[in-house]
Amino acid sequence: MNAKASKTHVTCIEPAYYEAITEAIRKEAVQILKDETVVGVVGYLPGRRKGTASPALVTTAEEAGKLIFSPACVNNLSVYLTKAKKGVLKKGKVGIVAKGCDMRALAGLITESQLQREELFIIGVVCPGVYGFGAERTGTLTEANIARKCRECSVHLPDGADVAAGTHTELADLTPEEAEEMARIEAMPQAERWAFWKEHFSRCIRCMACRQVCPFCYCEQCLCDKNRPQAVESSPRPAGNMAWHLVRAMHLAGRCGGCAECERVCPMDIPLNLLNRRMAKELKELYDFEAGLNPVEKGPLNQYKEDDDQSFIK
Amino acid sequence: MPQIITEQNLRNLIDLLVKEAKLVVGPKLSGSVVLYEPLAAGSDLTLDALPRRSSKELFFPICEDILSYKRENGAMKVTDVDRSKFPETVLIGAPPCDAGSPAILDAVMSWDYNDEFYLERRRKSTIVGIACTKGDDACFCRAVGLAPDAEGGSDLFLTPLKDGSYACKAVTDKGQALVAAHQNLFADGAGTEPVPFVDQAVEKLDLVKIKKWLEEHFEDPLWEKIADICVGCGACAFICPACHCFDINDEGSTDDGVRRKHWDACGFAKFTNHASGHNPRDVQNKRYRNRIMHKFKYYDDKFGKTLCTGCGRCIRACPVGIDIAEILETINGKED
Repeated sequence: MNAKASKTHVTCIEPAYYEAITEAIRKEAVQILKDETVVGVVGYLPGRRKGTASPALVTTAEEAGKLIFSPACVNNLSVYLTKAKKGVLKKGKVGIVAKGCDMRALAGLITESQLQREELFIIGVVCPGVYGFGAERTGTLTEANIARKCRECSVHLPDGADVAAGTHTELADLTPEEAEEMARIEAMPQAERWAFWKEHFSRCIRCMACRQVCPFCYCEQCLCDKNRPQAVESSPRPAGNMAWHLVRAMHLAGRCGGCAECERVCPMDIPLNLLNRRMAKELKELYDFEAGLNPVEKGPLNQYKEDDDQSFIK
Repeated sequence: MPQIITEQNLRNLIDLLVKEAKLVVGPKLSGSVVLYEPLAAGSDLTLDALPRRSSKELFFPICEDILSYKRENGAMKVTDVDRSKFPETVLIGAPPCDAGSPAILDAVMSWDYNDEFYLERRRKSTIVGIACTKGDDACFCRAVGLAPDAEGGSDLFLTPLKDGSYACKAVTDKGQALVAAHQNLFADGAGTEPVPFVDQAVEKLDLVKIKKWLEEHFEDPLWEKIADICVGCGACAFICPACHCFDINDEGSTDDGVRRKHWDACGFAKFTNHASGHNPRDVQNKRYRNRIMHKFKYYDDKFGKTLCTGCGRCIRACPVGIDIAEILETINGKED
C-alpha cells in the first residue's frame, strides 16, 4: 500500500472509507490465522447497538471474517497485550489492529520490554479519526462527532505496522480544542487552576476505568491499591482522588502515548488527557523526547545522564 | 381525583421544600454531566437527561464515615455517627429505573443485618418519580419487569403531559402527605395527553428461563466469550442503581482516624481476594460472571427480585462495550 503518496482533505468521511479498511483487515486477519502466522488477532467486532463496536479476541478464520473498522472503533487494543491481561491470549505471536495512536502505545510497551516486536503482527489502520464520547453515531465522521484527541492527530499513518489499511484522508479545518483548553488552563492563576482540578476530581468515583484501559498501567500491584499500609486513600474523597490522579500523571510522564483512553472512559467526564499532555510537554521541553514515536532503548526518566538538566532541584 | 402540577409549580415546590429545610435532591447539571445533586432552588432541576450516576447514592453514598476513633490519654475513644442528624430528604425527578431501585435494595439492606445508615435515610426520604419519555438504545427497563411509567418505588409519581405540565399520582402515604402539605400548587383535573414513551430495542426477556440457564451453566464457554475483554474497572457497578457492594477502610493514623464505607465492585481484581492471596474469582471472566449471577440468580434466590432496573447505564459506560442486554438476549435465546 502506498498511504504516504497522497493525502486528501475532506469535510466528511463516508462509511465507504471504513468499509474498505474493514475488508482489508478481514483479508489480513483471515490469512495470518489460516497460515498460522499468529495464534489470535485482537480487533473489533460490531456491537448490538447501531454504530457501536467492541474489542474482540478472535482465534478462527471464521471469526476474523467478521472483524470491522468504523468510527466506533475507539479502543486502544494494546491493553490486551499487557501483563494486566495475561492469560487472555494464548502464548505465541499475536495479530493486532492498530491505529496510529495505538501504535504509539505498542512502541512504548516495546521500549519497556513488555512486548517484543517479532511477537506481533500489526495490522495498521490509516485512521481518519473516531467518534467522540456521546457523539452522534451516524456512520459518517464529521467535524461534529470526531473525538477531541483526533482533532490534533499527528499519527494518521501507522508507521511501523506490518501492513496498513486505508488511504491517507483527513477532515479539513479541525479546531484544536484540546490545545485551546490547555492554553486556557495554563493562563489561569495558580489558585484558579487548582480549583479547576479540585472541582473535576471531586466528581471522581474511583471506578479505576482510567487505570484499567491504560496500556501503561500494567503494574501488578498498583500503589493506589495498597492497603497494608495504605499509600493513597482508596475511598472516593477529594484528597485521595487528587492524590490518585496526580500519582498516575507522574507515573505516566514520558510513557503515555496520548491515546486519551483514560479520558474517553471516565464516566464522570474528567479531562484526564490534559494532565498527560501537560507532562508530555514537560518531557519535550526538558529532554526533547516524545513517548512512543519509535521504540527506544530507554525513556529519559528511566536513565541518568551526567548532563541532565538539574535546574529543577532547588 | 386526578391532579396536575405545572412545571413552574414543580419548581416552586422545590423552592418551598428547600425553605422548609429539607434536603431536596434531583438531576442537576454539574460541569458537563447531569448528576443527582442537592438543589438550591427549583431552577436547578434539569429533566433533559438521565443522570450519569443513579440515585442510589442518596441512600447508599459513594463514601460515608461510619465511625471515628481517637486515642485520648492512652485510651481509644470511638465515636459513632449520629444518624439522627440525617436530613429529611425529597428526591425529585427520578425515572422508574432509579426510583425503583430502593424498593429492590431494601431487601438486602434489612436482611440478616439492618444497615441503619441506609434504612435511616430511607425512612427520612420521599421519592417523587417521573415517567420516562426519553430513553435510547441502551434502555431495557421493560425487559426486567419495569416500564417507563412504572410507579414502584415512588411515593408520588409524575407523568409528563404534552402541555408541559405533569399528572400526579400519590402512590404512598408519604406521597399523599407531600401533596397535602402543598395543596395550592396542585390543581384538580386529568390534564392533556401524556408525552408518548420511547420504544426499547430489548423489550422482552424470560427472566425465569434466564435464571434456570444460569443455575445450570456456572461453568460455560459463554463467560470467556463475553467477558475476556472486560478490563476490570468498576464503572458498571458504580453507576448501577442496584449494585450495592461496599468496602470498609480505616483511614488516618493508628491514633486518629475514620472508618469509611465506600462502593466496591466485583470487577476489581481485589474483590474477594483472600488475605492468603488466593482469589476464588481468579480471572476476569469469573468476576463478570458474578455480576450476571448476582443480578439474575442469587438475588432472586434470596429475595425474589431481579437486581437490575434496565437503566442501561452500564451499557453506555462500559469502556469495552460489554452489553448486558445483549448478553441476556443471548442467554434467553439458548436452547439448553
